[in-house]
Amino acid sequence: MTLGDMISTALSNLGRRKVRTILTSIGVIVGILTIVTMVSLGIGVRIEINKQFAQIGLERVFVSPREGERNFFTQFAAPERTNPILPEDVERWRQLPNVREVVADVDLPLGVASALKIGAQTQQIAISGEDSVLGQTPFSTPPTALAGTIDVPDESGKIVLTAGALEDLDINPDQFAGLVGQPVEIVLQAPRGETQTFSFTVVGVSSEEIPTARVPLADRAAMKGWWFNRPDILATDGYDSVTIRATTIAAANELVPQIRNEGFRVQSLELILDLADQVFTVINVMLSSVGGLALLVASLGIVNTMIMSIYERTREIGTLKAIGASRGDIRLMFMIEAGMIGLMGGVIGIISGWGLGLLLNRVILWYIEREQLPVRGDFFVVTPTLALVSLLFATLIGVIAGLYPANRAARLDPLVALRHE
Amino acid sequence: MQEDRSLIRARSLARRYTMGKEAVMALNGVDLDIQRGEFVALVGPSGSGKSTLLNLIGGLDRPSSGEIWVEDLELGQASDKRLVRYRRDRIGFIFQSFNLLPTRSAVENVEVPLMLAGQNRKARRERALDLLGRVGLGKRAGHKPSELSGGEMQRVAIARSLANSPALLLADEPTGNLDSKTGKDILNMLGELLRTQGLTMVLVTHDMNVASHADRVVHLLDGKIQRIETAAERNGYRAETATAEAIR
Ligand SMILES: Nc1ncnc2c1ncn2[C@@H]1O[C@H](COP(=O)(O)OP(=O)(O)O)[C@@H](O)[C@H]1O
Ligand SMILES: [Mg+2]
Repeated sequence: MTLGDMISTALSNLGRRKVRTILTSIGVIVGILTIVTMVSLGIGVRIEINKQFAQIGLERVFVSPREGERNFFTQFAAPERTNPILPEDVERWRQLPNVREVVADVDLPLGVASALKIGAQTQQIAISGEDSVLGQTPFSTPPTALAGTIDVPDESGKIVLTAGALEDLDINPDQFAGLVGQPVEIVLQAPRGETQTFSFTVVGVSSEEIPTARVPLADRAAMKGWWFNRPDILATDGYDSVTIRATTIAAANELVPQIRNEGFRVQSLELILDLADQVFTVINVMLSSVGGLALLVASLGIVNTMIMSIYERTREIGTLKAIGASRGDIRLMFMIEAGMIGLMGGVIGIISGWGLGLLLNRVILWYIEREQLPVRGDFFVVTPTLALVSLLFATLIGVIAGLYPANRAARLDPLVALRHE
Repeated sequence: MQEDRSLIRARSLARRYTMGKEAVMALNGVDLDIQRGEFVALVGPSGSGKSTLLNLIGGLDRPSSGEIWVEDLELGQASDKRLVRYRRDRIGFIFQSFNLLPTRSAVENVEVPLMLAGQNRKARRERALDLLGRVGLGKRAGHKPSELSGGEMQRVAIARSLANSPALLLADEPTGNLDSKTGKDILNMLGELLRTQGLTMVLVTHDMNVASHADRVVHLLDGKIQRIETAAERNGYRAETATAEAIR
């Protein structure tokens, strides 16, 4: 018997009991649908995250100094740095081949009480520098300039304020433009009660909501130096973070161990992404197990249906054996039949899983739209590999479920089978 | 040398069935030779072992002891694979209850043995239609068994039995489910086929009218051959009974 004949025989036999065949394959449909939806979600979200990370730039390497443990009592003190990033380190990295750009940064400690003073009004405000790439979270839209420029100049004494900061001072958006070029003051207050005033000139207003003042590196270093009472803090404590932008991702990957060997803490987005990938794999496996459970139940349904249909067709099997069908013919015929139930469920499951993904994606996009979140994209992606693997898996489930019934049919004694009523 | 030998040779053939503790000797030492081209009827009361003998000849069952040769093949010792091929290529089975596949049309039923033998679609469809024509069912090729009469179903089964050009037809009460008129037609058709195709046939029946078509009639009783009648003897016997009946 040729394979083509086997398949067409199996199809015509399945067609005899359409309702039963469809009911049996529903288990497979549900299982495959679950797996396809879950895995396509995993794939979609991963692609989206990859995209976001790629926008930030995978060729960046983040260096921070090694420091001693900090605890509750020392958290406001200057960190004990065992290996600070000094200006000469930064200069040396700038000279490395394959390095395009090195940006060093200084952060003010969390506990610094800082206020913005415009005229007579004062407002608590956070101090930072140019928004660093690390601070720029994935899925966020970059801020826009409402007045002047939002690029913090290198020249000290300049300041960029956010819309959020000005709103709290009851300054209307139509007054923003007039603010550019005006003097403002930042007042720091130490826990010991002393205050220090730093004068700035406004260069621009950014659209951000969080009340923030962005000041150049030199000013932040000066503020930090005052806070810790170390006038030349860059030479003693060094920078808090350095971002090295390599020419390529491969070059970035080479920089990581190299700088790590110099005794600094080094991270790259690539490493973070690898970790995220691992997490996603685990989540995917867990979610797919739900579908796997459905498939297990489905396979029992297939076993049941096959046993039932073999019982009904006992006489036919006897006839076929009497007129020259071998055990192998009968076994293969029923295994193909069971495999077809799986395959059919697989096809429908993949299509409906894909459809469900499209539907859910619409719902998510609608929600994002409503919440005005800055994300777009497909969160459910059915790749050809996913479709193919699910299809094979569904068929395999059917074939495995068919093993036992098909063997029973193959072993039937033709004379006994022919006497069967 | 082979040619001189009979097509079928049974030697001390026995088949024992055990039902729980009891053993039934369905066949108990049968010696029988059947020649090429011969039409042999197996007769005897119910339970005398007719079907058992036929199934042994057809390779559907294996003897408990003794030998059953068909040409150069001893069926008792042959492997399962050889028996399957033997049934497929050298035997044509005809059953009392037709045993057609209910979901397949007449022509598809005739195609089944050809499909099992791996023949391609076009060739087997041609052959099946030709065979249906020969049993007078050319116009019914597309009908399902449920749309056919008993006689028509048995004709489809006969066409199916001929599909792989077997040397030997085995029929177990082929007219048992048919009225006498239809049964007679079927028997005439089988007789015609045997003559024109040079086939050998072993037919089981308990109907002496049916057996009267055969060259030889083997009488079985309790798993043993009671006697064998040739056509010539039987005609004499028949004449005698006819006279006796006429006198009465
Ligand atoms: N599978 C079986 N199991 C047990 N006994 C059987 C089986 N097949 C046949 N027999 C017994 O063997 C004897 C002969 O049966 P069978 O050849 O079918 O008779 P016939 O065809 O002449 O009516 C009967 O007594 C029957 O009960
Ligand atoms: Mg019988």
